[in-house]
Amino acid sequence: MPTLGVDVRGTLNLVGALVRYFSLAFILPAGVALGYDEPVWPFLAAAAITAAGGWSLERATKGKESVRAREGFLVVALTWLAGALVISLPYLFIEPQLRNPIDAYFESMSGMTTTGASVLTDVESLSHSIAMWRQFSQWLGGMGIIVLALAILPRLRVGGRQLMESEAPGPEIEPLATSIRDTARRLWLLYVGLTGAMILVLSLFAWTGIDESMSFYEAVAHAFTTLPTGGFSTRARSIEDFGAATQWAIALFMVLAGANFALMYRALLRNQWRKAGRDEELRVYLALLALGSVILFSDLAAKGILTGEAAVRHGVFQAVSIMTTTGYASTDFNLWTSLTAMTLVALMFIGGSAGSTGGAIKPVRILLLGRILGRELDQTVHREAVRPIRLNGRVIDERTLRAISVFVLLYLIVFALGSLGLVLESARAGVEVSPFEAISAAATTIGNVGPGFGFLGPMGSFEPFSGLSKSIMIVLMWMGRLELIPIVVLLTRNYWRA
Amino acid sequence: MRIFVIGAGQVGSTVVEALHHEHELTLIDLDADRLSTLSYKFDIGTIEGNGASRRTLRDAGIDQADLLIAATSRDEVNIVSSMFAKKLSPETKTIVRTTNVEYLDLWQERELDVDFVISSEVETAHAVSRIIGVPAARQTDVFADGQVQMVEFDVPDAADARVVGIPLREAVIPADSKVASIIRGDRMIVPRGDESILPGDRIIVIGSPNAAREWSLLMVSGDRVLDDVVVVGGGQTGVAIARLLIDQGIKVRIIEAFGPRAREVAEELPEARVFHATGTDPEFLEREKIGTARAAVFAMPEDAKNLYAAALAKMHGVPFTIGIVHDPLSADVFEQAGVDVAVNPRSVTAEEIVRFTHDPRIRQLAMLEGDRFEVLDITVRDESPLCGRPFKELPMTGSLIGAIVRDGEAIFPHGGDELRPGDRAIIFAESSRVQQVERAL
Repeated sequence: MPTLGVDVRGTLNLVGALVRYFSLAFILPAGVALGYDEPVWPFLAAAAITAAGGWSLERATKGKESVRAREGFLVVALTWLAGALVISLPYLFIEPQLRNPIDAYFESMSGMTTTGASVLTDVESLSHSIAMWRQFSQWLGGMGIIVLALAILPRLRVGGRQLMESEAPGPEIEPLATSIRDTARRLWLLYVGLTGAMILVLSLFAWTGIDESMSFYEAVAHAFTTLPTGGFSTRARSIEDFGAATQWAIALFMVLAGANFALMYRALLRNQWRKAGRDEELRVYLALLALGSVILFSDLAAKGILTGEAAVRHGVFQAVSIMTTTGYASTDFNLWTSLTAMTLVALMFIGGSAGSTGGAIKPVRILLLGRILGRELDQTVHREAVRPIRLNGRVIDERTLRAISVFVLLYLIVFALGSLGLVLESARAGVEVSPFEAISAAATTIGNVGPGFGFLGPMGSFEPFSGLSKSIMIVLMWMGRLELIPIVVLLTRNYWRA
Repeated sequence: MRIFVIGAGQVGSTVVEALHHEHELTLIDLDADRLSTLSYKFDIGTIEGNGASRRTLRDAGIDQADLLIAATSRDEVNIVSSMFAKKLSPETKTIVRTTNVEYLDLWQERELDVDFVISSEVETAHAVSRIIGVPAARQTDVFADGQVQMVEFDVPDAADARVVGIPLREAVIPADSKVASIIRGDRMIVPRGDESILPGDRIIVIGSPNAAREWSLLMVSGDRVLDDVVVVGGGQTGVAIARLLIDQGIKVRIIEAFGPRAREVAEELPEARVFHATGTDPEFLEREKIGTARAAVFAMPEDAKNLYAAALAKMHGVPFTIGIVHDPLSADVFEQAGVDVAVNPRSVTAEEIVRFTHDPRIRQLAMLEGDRFEVLDITVRDESPLCGRPFKELPMTGSLIGAIVRDGEAIFPHGGDELRPGDRAIIFAESSRVQQVERAL
């Protein structure tokens, strides 16, 4: 056997350490369980198992570690698989709807990757603590657990940039500070700050009586799934239960969650509003949101499905929710027109900005791909023309541009294979799935959006899919969240070679 | 005037040739052969030595010199030489030749203790834009992060009649700008309303960047719109030419034969259309319709290539060709062979150096005569008696407030505006008035 070029032992050692720290996350749901007088043991047991599992993995692989850039991909890929496993433990212990390990794993992967697709059929029967754990899992995954670890763990000093680049959405990370650790800290600071602001706003709605159905508990639960563009709700009818004011407020925070956090940090904390406002990706992002909203509400109004403020509100809310890859529903958009359905599926591919918590392809890649295309067309006529491609006036190097083209191509290939796999497997398993439903399922999971169309619509459930189909979608969510490359590269032979 | 010239190369010897009649020249160079050739030709003193050496300068008597011209082909030597000269003899004015535009920017930002900086590339670019008929502004000073600019123009014959040839009070001066001075021959005039700008003058304007741009449009006659120029050769000279033309609103195409350099040029000049090709490939010229350009500039490093490419461009229909020549002997060959104008960067540089030597600002400074001009950058004191009074009532003759900077914003004052404590005033003043102005503020 040839020698490996990847330090698997060191990688597992690091993954073990990260998993061990993950046990601290159970403090929150345990506290909720105490407060609502619900069983605490599932969380304590899960915490104990996680800590013990992480510790023994660390122990078993102890030795001289050499985790470098190359190992980074493996660390990130494995950490996310292990993280979803950890999240699923309390579900397995106590939640009757998630007794099946694949269902539990689907739900936790959907949580951690901030997808928001659910196999539950009755969300409202969840206990407060399990429901809050489910919401919290999205919040943890949103800004990225490795980014969090980078911010607080001393161990990740070396190779941190590689880890963060593999995990953070977008073609490249924008440093906010000289050290990667400070950048990670600042991103998390802003994330926590925005979450706090949203809890405050929604709580105010509850306390002032603007929204009768809102409460502090719901405020926290929904802030936990809005800022990471997650989309899990404690309600069976998602955001439909809440008042118009709450829906507008959530829409606003979804727009923020889908914007570049580094840009927001600069605008908010360094007062660089003008510069942020000129950012080309931000402009494309907002323009696409506006375009999607206009198509939706004008079609709704034209077909007489909704009128007046309600048409605008639901149109905007749904366009924002789907494009930022959050996946909330303010009403059952499944019952709208075929034009709205096609628009929403198209929005699933766009996603939030680079450096946001949103998934999918991202406006910046679409923008640059457009410029690459424009250049290719120009050069077919003017062969000798030399045209560097710029973003915000800065020249983007050719390697990055190539990576972007490859990413988009790969995204579409994986999406196509995923849809095909779902259709074939559903036919084999005897589950009735229309091609459009299969396409929406693949698009919504690889884009980390959440709901699809048909039985997997916003008020529906992914429960009817077969176990293998669910596994396909687990892989799609995992690959989509880590933006494909860190996982696909693991499948190449040269990655493993010395 | 007693003048030291460092460097006996092409620029140095052209300068010597132009100045040796009127001035007392000392030429310093490391190469004894070059020195002796020149010393037989002209009546000058020569010193064999390193111009960037403190001892050489001191022994040569730099403290007696009125002006030092550092004209070697090496930027660092020129700057160091000027630095030592300033240290040894603070009264000596210095002119530095550079090939690096960065030094020019530094000098404009007053970060370089040199009286004048001349870049061959930029001079060549100015020469080309003059020839094409769109004289560009020369920026000499910037204040308040570039919000206030002091720019100079050589007024061409074709300049807009709204400002040229009529009394200034009737002229349509772009908003946010003032004519600070007119240099005519060896006289320098602080213009009053009855003075007028004439073709051939060099004028100094203080104003906002926008006003500077409007001025450069006024310097071109209205109907002469040259929209498409091809620059062949993307070296430093080619890029400087292209940049200046782009700033004038002209569409520029650049042809560069070396791939990586073409890419660099394209990155540096987003507004230019850059091609990776040779200017001597007829198929390419045909495909890209190079013949439709109104003018083409050939700025490759080899004279012979420039000549060939220019001839080829003519064949393809380019009506006006400008060749950059490096060997002074090539200029005649070029023009004989049908290139419309040949520009030699070194002689253009030397001309500009000579021009500076004739510049009243330098001459009067050097001769320590009464009337010289200074640009003052003064912060207005709280107790200044002039505060709060409208500009039109201010009793300052022989000086002119070009702009004020208030809270980081540039203001171009009108008669009704007033001066406030803490303002930074940018003032153009006769030297005899400098103290008076300083006291008043």
